[in-house]
Amino acid sequence: MRIAGALIGALALCIAAAPAAAEEGAVIRAGELKAMPFIDAVTSAKVAANQAVTIVSRKGGWVEVQANGQTGWLRMLNVRLQGGSAPAAGQANVHAASLLRTNSSGKTVTTGIKGLGEEDLQNAVPNPAELTKLTSLAVPAAEASSNAAASGLVEHPVDYLDQKKKKK
Amino acid sequence: MRPHRALSLLAAVALSLTVTPAQAQLGGLGNIFDKAQKAKKVGDSMREIGPEEEEKIGGDLASMILGAAPLVDNADEQHYVNRVGMWLAMHTERADLPWHFGIIDTDDVNAFSTPGGYVFITRGLFERFRNESELAGVLSHEIAHVVQKHHLHALQNEMRTSAVADAGSSVVGSGGVTGFLTEQVIKAGKTLYTRGLDKGDEYEADRMGVVIAARSGYSPYGLVGVLQTLSAEQDQKGLALMMKTHPNPTDRMDRLEKAMGTKLDGLTPEVDDLPSFVALRNPPPPPPVVKAKAKAPAGKAKPRKK
Repeated sequence: MRIAGALIGALALCIAAAPAAAEEGAVIRAGELKAMPFIDAVTSAKVAANQAVTIVSRKGGWVEVQANGQTGWLRMLNVRLQGGSAPAAGQANVHAASLLRTNSSGKTVTTGIKGLGEEDLQNAVPNPAELTKLTSLAVPAAEASSNAAASGLVEHPVDYLDQKKKKK
Repeated sequence: MRPHRALSLLAAVALSLTVTPAQAQLGGLGNIFDKAQKAKKVGDSMREIGPEEEEKIGGDLASMILGAAPLVDNADEQHYVNRVGMWLAMHTERADLPWHFGIIDTDDVNAFSTPGGYVFITRGLFERFRNESELAGVLSHEIAHVVQKHHLHALQNEMRTSAVADAGSSVVGSGGVTGFLTEQVIKAGKTLYTRGLDKGDEYEADRMGVVIAARSGYSPYGLVGVLQTLSAEQDQKGLALMMKTHPNPTDRMDRLEKAMGTKLDGLTPEVDDLPSFVALRNPPPPPPVVKAKAKAPAGKAKPRKK
């Protein structure tokens, strides 16, 4: 019974923890910890540059963090991750990883460890068969549109951001 | 004859003289001279390459990348990135290109695009995404390179300097003029894709990428999340080529902070994640989880207590 309980517990923990393994980070510039993920939300505390934080969740341009025993929201662009803290392969996206591997037709053993370094590109021999396969995968605009609509993606008219220095 | 005309005529003669003696003395080399001229034409940075030629060049380069790492053999996954990618590409000035998206089978973390609308992300990168807006952010960055013809222009510069020299060597072309051109494109492409674009092109693709994602209904901060991941992992071997060919991820975040500010905030609704991605990430628990029963609670519990 206890073993079964522990097993269920372990399973539950894995499932819950998998998509959002705790990430450790630090504040880049001194700023304010907000009660909600909005610029005009109430400030719940001040944070100093280099203050260590644990990222609890993410929403749009914001990350929810624990810092000095307080929980609140910081701008994503004001938090850098500590080395080794980012989701490793299969941690952020556990099943996609295993799904992709299992389906690598008959090459599962070797392809799983294959790199793509400078030498691999230099030595690459063009693969027209794979190119043909890629071409066959194209999705028509109409399908992309209906899929986006079904997913609740809403278009926004947004201009490109200004370039400080224009090339050419 | 006006003086400046005479000058340009002189220049043209001088230019042809540099090759002509070889051509005259060794009859067979005339053919090679033709090939060199063709390759040089591709490399002429003043010349605007037409859509068909761009697609051919892009296809050759895509074929090269696929020669280094083939597609992940899963039609559902590939279909999924093509749906997301096409939707994003439709929010650019080059919506009508024949866009193709693929996940390529390598653990390394990287993404590529080639002229004409070919975009690749590696399986290693795909596995690190936290949500669909991160996928959208990376695809949009690559789409921006294609829209701005960054690789096409860099390739033209590369070929202008290398093609003519190569045409004189005896290893040239078993495949006639077309084969020779493909060889030249691949050769210049290998240099380009292992050296990287100008940093300015990368920053521009970041700035455009966040906007393309926002236009398409995704959070524009997906790309920022990926840059955070990269900054935390930049010393790892699987990121070596990506780090060599791109500016430092922290610098990229700094630039985005300056360009974005809060300009792209408050677009509602904006999507961080979607069931289509969650389905890949969180399906019914696979059997291997049982293996982790002894390790997982201890390992996971520690950081949580802090």
